[in-house]
Amino acid sequence: MEEVVASPREWIDRNESAKTMLARVLTARPLLLLPPLHRVPLRVGNVVELVGTSPSAKTHILIQAAVSCVLPKEWNGVHYGGLDRLVMFIDLDCRFDILRLSKMLKHRINGESNGSLKKIDQEHMDFDLWNNDTKKSPTYDEELYSLCMRRFLFIRCYDSFQFLATLKTLNYRIRKEQELHGISVHILMIDSIGAFHWIDRASTFMPLGATNRKTPSLQTVSETVVQEIRKLLLLHPMLVIATKATIFGDRYSMETKRNLGKLDTSNSRSMSSTSLQLPYREYMPSVWQMILSFEPMTVIARSIFQNGCSHHRVLWINL
Amino acid sequence: MAPLKYLEQEYPILDSNFQNFCATHGIFSGPFPPSNFSRIYSPILTPSFTFLGVRFAPILLLFWRCSLFDCSELKDTRRKHMKFRALHKKTEDQEDLLLHDLHVLVAFAEQQSTSERLKQGITQVLSIIDGQHQPWLNGMELLEDAQLNKHVLSTGCEGIDLLLEGGLRMGQLTELVGASSSGKTQVCLLATSNVAKKHMGGVVYLDTGNSFSPQRVIDFIRQNSDPAIDQAKHRILQKVMNRILCHSVFDIFTMFDVLHQLEVNLRSQMQKGDCQVRLLIVDSISSLVTPILGGGGSQGHALMASAGFLLKKLAHEHNLVVLVTNHTVGGEGGISKPALGESWKSIPHVRLRLSHDQGSSIYNVSVFKHPSMVSGKAARFTIYD
Repeated sequence: MEEVVASPREWIDRNESAKTMLARVLTARPLLLLPPLHRVPLRVGNVVELVGTSPSAKTHILIQAAVSCVLPKEWNGVHYGGLDRLVMFIDLDCRFDILRLSKMLKHRINGESNGSLKKIDQEHMDFDLWNNDTKKSPTYDEELYSLCMRRFLFIRCYDSFQFLATLKTLNYRIRKEQELHGISVHILMIDSIGAFHWIDRASTFMPLGATNRKTPSLQTVSETVVQEIRKLLLLHPMLVIATKATIFGDRYSMETKRNLGKLDTSNSRSMSSTSLQLPYREYMPSVWQMILSFEPMTVIARSIFQNGCSHHRVLWINL
Repeated sequence: MAPLKYLEQEYPILDSNFQNFCATHGIFSGPFPPSNFSRIYSPILTPSFTFLGVRFAPILLLFWRCSLFDCSELKDTRRKHMKFRALHKKTEDQEDLLLHDLHVLVAFAEQQSTSERLKQGITQVLSIIDGQHQPWLNGMELLEDAQLNKHVLSTGCEGIDLLLEGGLRMGQLTELVGASSSGKTQVCLLATSNVAKKHMGGVVYLDTGNSFSPQRVIDFIRQNSDPAIDQAKHRILQKVMNRILCHSVFDIFTMFDVLHQLEVNLRSQMQKGDCQVRLLIVDSISSLVTPILGGGGSQGHALMASAGFLLKKLAHEHNLVVLVTNHTVGGEGGISKPALGESWKSIPHVRLRLSHDQGSSIYNVSVFKHPSMVSGKAARFTIYD
């Protein structure tokens, strides 16, 4: 329905100045500079998938992004550079460890307030989790810490139907939380979207009764999940990051090892995307693959021993 | 017709008019009302299909897989499978509403004459759905729960405790991987004796290969005890042994039975200080799952995934340490790898690899996977005879 414009002059008059436009765009598109997510132009409304075998650092990347998201931009004069928004985390794997999030948040707050920001290598991300910095004085900002922890909203689901129930009521829940905290949700994280794959696949039901009845199967459940996420993104624009574990590994593990060898020796920037084949087999139904905004990002983690202590080196490939 | 009728008793707004409206859109039932019934029979999606209203189970696959069993065993397994299905049936008609687009339904409701009442009914159903999932928690509440309830239990074995920074954590599923006679059962028995004695918690031991040995447990208990009067010692020993419950399970359905019974017991149990179950051991889970994997179908993997979810649920909700053992199979290049395949890899929280030097009592343990530790960290420990 188009409104009739009163006059042509009104039509060519400007809607907003560049300053207001920039302000609007920056709130809709805050910059997430963390590797590996800095490589792709992320915007709200995007659905991203991180794929990797188990264990690779997929959940770690999610936790890192969550920490960046819940921290405020500035607090008590110290610049944290966070997005100052809420994060919702749906744990389908049921393996989330809150202590990791807590440690990382404390580490980040300590690091910033002590002025020692570690320079993040643009290509690789080295981190050692057991360098706890307990030697530093524990006078981090307690108030800030509890504020940030409260901005992290968490739920776990033990089967597909609980997941569907969560998605259906997520709209009301988001509205409620936004009213409570006064800030909007920026990221929805789903840990291991393929967690119920086998269970859903094995539950094939014959139609009973009327023909217009939907029977729960892998296809219908995935369709409903995708539908709910789409509707949710229309009402509450946010970024959706989902991780996925590979479930067919055997035939491709040799491929992965050979390719990893190539990655380590050469500079990853010089590697063309065509020289690397998919190290995993796609098992999610096509309806899910279509909602993704980018190709799934493969995450590979190797533990290396450097300077006497062990680190994790996380590599990622964008195919 | 269907469970929507039962919802009417609790929520009179879901009257027959609403039910008929839903029926025209292929919705014959809604979510279960939050009563005790649905809580006790916790939903585990297990494979089955219904033909003309009769429930069949794809037991044929199981027949082919279990070629080691003779006829009587097969019938026994089939009976167990049927009983299992009947007990934990997830009626396919209960989740129609979850699979439908409720906004579209609301749009249809607007066209009806009784639109207001229908919309109220849909809102009511939505609030019932809101009770179907776990509660939303924020980071502080999670942290409080972890600090208050999810402590670390020492295994009694210094090497492992040092490696795991204290021991096995409650609420986590730990897996011990190792070739045969690499010490997995020994570690399980040691952990059993330690939890029963030092932490004074109950232990549930699911034994799949008749490897549980009470004598060995008594040896472990006696090893670390202070010299005391014989009389008192005997009484203490009895008390400690009373806390250990051992079940022999030889197929996966019996395991599900036992675990569900345990869940019911834990839910209804009051906080009895002495007998709180703290440790659940399944030795070994791979011997239960391996016979049903393979064959191209997905039922085996589905049962394995369901078992994993059930164990993690028990661990988290009742603050248990769950310890399972797994064996190894040959991989590429002759290197052995853990059994149960790729999908099992993402189920346990912690995976430890055990190995044993031939002829000595020294064992090696290394970390395969840990939520907050680099894999590859190793330690050694000794188990004395």
